[in-house]
Amino acid sequence: MADSLSPEELAKHKKSYTAVGIALLVFTCITLALGIWPPLDLGVPGATWEDVVIGLTVAGVKASLVALIFMHLNHEKSLIYKFLLFTFFFFLGLMFLTLFALWDPIREAIDSYYTRG
Amino acid sequence: MEIPYEVTARRDTGLYNAKIGIWLFLASEVMLFGGLFSAYVFLRVGVIDGVDTPWPLGLDVHKQFVWIGFVNTIVLIASSVFVVFAWVSLKERNYQRFQIWMVAVVLCAAAFMVNKFIEYKNKLTEHHGIKLVDNSVMEGKIVHDTEKIKFAADSLNVPLQGGLPAFLGDFEGDFPAFKAVYVGKEEEGKEPVKIEKSGSSAGDFADWFYEARRQVAEDLAEERKKLRDAKKEGKTYQMKPVPTKGTVTPAAGEGGESEPFVLRPDNRKMVNYSRSEDGPDKLNYIDAVTVDGKVLADKIEYELHEINLQQVPITKQDSAKLWEIFESQGHGYVKDEFMEHQAERIQELRTKFKDKPIPAKVMQSAFVNLIEAHLHEPKTGEKKGGGDVHGEKAKVNPAADDGHDKKDDHGDGHHGHYTVLIDRGDVKFFGNHGPRYGNYYAIYFTMTALHGLHVVGGALVLAYFLIFGKKLYLKNPEHLANRVEVGGLFWHFVDLVWIFLFPIMYLL
Amino acid sequence: MSADAHDDHDHHDPPFWRKYIFSTDHKVIGLQYGFMALAFLAFGFFLMMVMRWSIAFPDRPVPMLADLPWFQAWLDDEGKVTGELYNMFGAMHGTIMVFLGVVPLAFGAFGNYVTPLQIGAPDMAFPRLNMASFWSFFIGGVLMFVSFFLPSGAAKVGWTNYSPLATTTDLHFGDLFWTGQTQWLVGMVFLITSSLLGAVNFITTIINLRCRGMTWMRMPFFVWAMLVTGFLLLLAFPPLEVAAIMQLMDRLVGTSFFVPTGLNVNGTPFIAAGGGSPLLYQHLFWFLGHPEVYVLILPAIAIVAEIIPCNTRKPLWGYRTMVYAVMVLGFLSFIVWAHHMYMTGMGPAVSTFFQTTTVLISVPSVILITSLLISMWGGSIRFNVPMLFATAFIPMFGFGGLTGLPLAFNLPDLHLHDTYYVIGHFHYVVAPGTIFGLFAGIYHWFPKHTGRMMSSKLGHWHFWPSLLFMNGIFLPMFFQGMAGFHRRAFDGGKAYEQIASQIFMEDGVFARAFQSLVGRTDEVLIAMGRVTAEGAADHAIYLIDLNIVTSFSAWALAIFQAPFIINLFWSAYFGKKVKDDNPWDATTMEWATPTPPPHGNFTEEPVAYRDPYEYSVPDADEDFTPQFEPDPSEEAAPASPEPVESEIDSESTT
Repeated sequence: MADSLSPEELAKHKKSYTAVGIALLVFTCITLALGIWPPLDLGVPGATWEDVVIGLTVAGVKASLVALIFMHLNHEKSLIYKFLLFTFFFFLGLMFLTLFALWDPIREAIDSYYTRG
Repeated sequence: MEIPYEVTARRDTGLYNAKIGIWLFLASEVMLFGGLFSAYVFLRVGVIDGVDTPWPLGLDVHKQFVWIGFVNTIVLIASSVFVVFAWVSLKERNYQRFQIWMVAVVLCAAAFMVNKFIEYKNKLTEHHGIKLVDNSVMEGKIVHDTEKIKFAADSLNVPLQGGLPAFLGDFEGDFPAFKAVYVGKEEEGKEPVKIEKSGSSAGDFADWFYEARRQVAEDLAEERKKLRDAKKEGKTYQMKPVPTKGTVTPAAGEGGESEPFVLRPDNRKMVNYSRSEDGPDKLNYIDAVTVDGKVLADKIEYELHEINLQQVPITKQDSAKLWEIFESQGHGYVKDEFMEHQAERIQELRTKFKDKPIPAKVMQSAFVNLIEAHLHEPKTGEKKGGGDVHGEKAKVNPAADDGHDKKDDHGDGHHGHYTVLIDRGDVKFFGNHGPRYGNYYAIYFTMTALHGLHVVGGALVLAYFLIFGKKLYLKNPEHLANRVEVGGLFWHFVDLVWIFLFPIMYLL
Repeated sequence: MSADAHDDHDHHDPPFWRKYIFSTDHKVIGLQYGFMALAFLAFGFFLMMVMRWSIAFPDRPVPMLADLPWFQAWLDDEGKVTGELYNMFGAMHGTIMVFLGVVPLAFGAFGNYVTPLQIGAPDMAFPRLNMASFWSFFIGGVLMFVSFFLPSGAAKVGWTNYSPLATTTDLHFGDLFWTGQTQWLVGMVFLITSSLLGAVNFITTIINLRCRGMTWMRMPFFVWAMLVTGFLLLLAFPPLEVAAIMQLMDRLVGTSFFVPTGLNVNGTPFIAAGGGSPLLYQHLFWFLGHPEVYVLILPAIAIVAEIIPCNTRKPLWGYRTMVYAVMVLGFLSFIVWAHHMYMTGMGPAVSTFFQTTTVLISVPSVILITSLLISMWGGSIRFNVPMLFATAFIPMFGFGGLTGLPLAFNLPDLHLHDTYYVIGHFHYVVAPGTIFGLFAGIYHWFPKHTGRMMSSKLGHWHFWPSLLFMNGIFLPMFFQGMAGFHRRAFDGGKAYEQIASQIFMEDGVFARAFQSLVGRTDEVLIAMGRVTAEGAADHAIYLIDLNIVTSFSAWALAIFQAPFIINLFWSAYFGKKVKDDNPWDATTMEWATPTPPPHGNFTEEPVAYRDPYEYSVPDADEDFTPQFEPDPSEEAAPASPEPVESEIDSESTT
């Protein structure tokens, strides 16, 4: 059977799961510190771009750890990667093409032309 | 008939059916939460300063939940680890250990939901905001039930078209004894139809309502038919008016005396109410029910925690509506504190920039918009009582160094005893910190509730494997391992969503 | 004893409710979808016929219906259609036709019935999920239907349910949950769930349950189309689910996701926190909305692609090209959605992006249609009924596609938006397009399930009038639309008559063309008092009379569906018996099954030996060589066609 694993492999798996679990806890603490520890404060008053970038990067690292190790995406079949590639692409479309509608360089240029008089 | 590749993997794809299925499902879940995340960003980026409700709101209102979010993150991460261990145990063919890990997972899910419940409850019942007509906002807590007006109804005029009226859910206490009457259209030589009913339950009312509604519909149809028939013959016909409203009045209960209904109308279901000098007060429902009676109470009793002037233009902050309210009830010191801090901040800037002009943007961000304020005993006869006020009454944010003072404030608990009364005429919008209160809360509740549903769903599936897995394990342990793997994949995805929810909902 | 053994092997006949109602057999589920979808198509058609009366004769009471007591409540005092009823029927016509009619028939019915047969699978990969998917669809359909009879009536703000109108409509009802507007959303959540489960099931089945030898490039084109459609449903529906959930929150809980600050309703401020964005709803809706168009059309193209090679006795021309085209089409369909939103003021940069992708997507569409057209070149064509429908599909779809080009650009769209031109455009795609394709499919696969052929005579009585009247309905719409007739005018533009657009008529060329078309000259119009002498030459008024042409065509179309309905039931019991399991001499796998296919489909293990459309192979005995017919060269060792198995491995995951 393709999916049967030897005891050694299983032991290796277990080790990596524990390591990832600990890493996730550490990252969560970092996120929290970013949020409430004044020198690294992400929170009030309002989020700045640095806050967003740092916060989402940490979350992104955590998420990829979960996806790669726990969800076995580090050694999955190519078919699955294909699904996810498409999904990811459309997700980006949904995320950024909608935002595109809020930020329109052409209209901004026209507006600024007219407001300048 | 056997479906192939239920347990074993197909050779060319290397996958068994359920694994393809779950990954496809997760792909659609990515798009589902992706849509919500995209909505979050779209709405947040699209906020117009000074017009829309800012994200997120307030000071400690927001921050006190960070710990709950943190604990929940830890709980979910732990459960994710437990799930993979449960799967490994099955691969090692150790059913007992699988059970232990699985129990841990389900307990984690339960802990997560309990935590969530506490947070929801707190937000929904402990925090209310009031936006006044000039967009100045107060954060605090509405004293129990004063958010609804109290209205003594002598008679209700109920339209007999459409669905059951909304006021049925608004009675204070039990459903009262009532008497309902509908008088049909008048015709020559005939008594008008009269539909009457007395009762004391919603069911009785519905009986009357449906019967009268049918009568109205029949009468209307009849009149229309006459009109059409007349038209066919080339004649004219004046349609007789069909009354479409019935009257509901309080009836004598067991005590013998009839008392007016006491209504506590839901704010979303009420259009307006009016007092009148000569004659009854009126209450209009959104479904066109009109009520005559008397307004018993309509002031909102409010315990203040914070003042938020983010949506008030700087130049108008001095004359904000809320200062008037405080002043008139002897809490004028709140404004003094606020202005004092405003002046301090400007002074700070002045010294910082010395002779140079202060850039507009810096100036703007330096203004105090949010301030924590607590009410205390009104000092009667003392118009501007700044001098007698204890130093800790008001604090300005951002001010990182006085975090501990805040705790003291909560500790000595003198807030909650003093309240202001707010006239409904001054209020533009108010609500608890539920989804209605602003788009931050709306998306917070929508996303976390949907995520919560996923947690419950995933936990149920995993619990099913835990409880009923033995039979399958004995038959084909690999099949159970596959199922747990698939269930685990879903569980990790739920965890993954939370990893993003935690910073964007609690920290940013 | 033997009965027990049978029980163990699950060969006994399941009880009736298990076999025909809560069935897990893909064929029964397919039929369930099919009948329910046909019923909804008829219902949606009925709604439209009432609307057409109002458009053609706004000042006359509706015939027949005005005397029905239960229907009267919806009409005005004189029995005429009210604007509100028109809106309600219009909204539900769209919803029912798209979500409860065409998609379930194309994807649910044909997909379910044919896909597993064509890939040689015993059933779908998750039979119970398949059942859940149907019943979820059923609940959604029932909710939509029931909403007509609620006090508020059904949803009435257009099938797109745009906020904030959708949020604020019917809010004055005491019980907000049981209003049509809310039930539309709840129903939608069920329908979406159904589609998602269905999509997961389809894709898994196609990937994992192909029989031995059925490599990717040996799959019939229909299966490819189903695979792509599955992905469209899988990835495009969730954002609509998000939109539905958010609008549900707006209505029931009072959030303001789609409620902008400072919204006034009927002159009074709307009580809500504000800060929401109506544009967001449109983004989320059309993120589904556009792929949905391809969900409607791809199965029809695919059915036609099965029928044309079979009846031209030639291989499908450009099979591989079509496969790649359909994949590109599916991919591009996700990034064209905002061409529905040029009028929202989202700005020229976004419009530019989306009109570029929109023009790009016409390339694969044209490849598909051209391949089908070329497939007929030089064939000895059998013009039986399915082939008639399939042949008619191509120009009809072409009409719909080509008239879409002006709409792809934001400038012409400013003029054409929300006019009858748009209605004509997309109805050409879905009505004489998709629905003809589906009819073709029904005529084509009917003998597989019943063992009897559908009557050819009744089929002709169905086809020719349908073709004529379909065009009678939709062709005039282009002219009206270009003249500025608005789709939401419940009186068909009567009130708008005096100010009707003059732009289109200015140069007089088209005016004269239409005068001769409608057979009326200025003099006649002046004599009728419809126009004044000065305004006659450059006025679009007389296009309003096309409303009558359209409406009569619609009713005639309804009448000529009767032969189909009679045919469907009559032939099932009295039709001509098929000569064998493969009555059309077709080549794909579904014809290898017994007629009708039993539970589990194939009596012996199916193996695909060759490509799907091996018609008129040189040197072959017959003009068709089915996929399931063993290779003569391997006749010596029929038990194990190993070479084919090894080919699976070499192809692996394409």
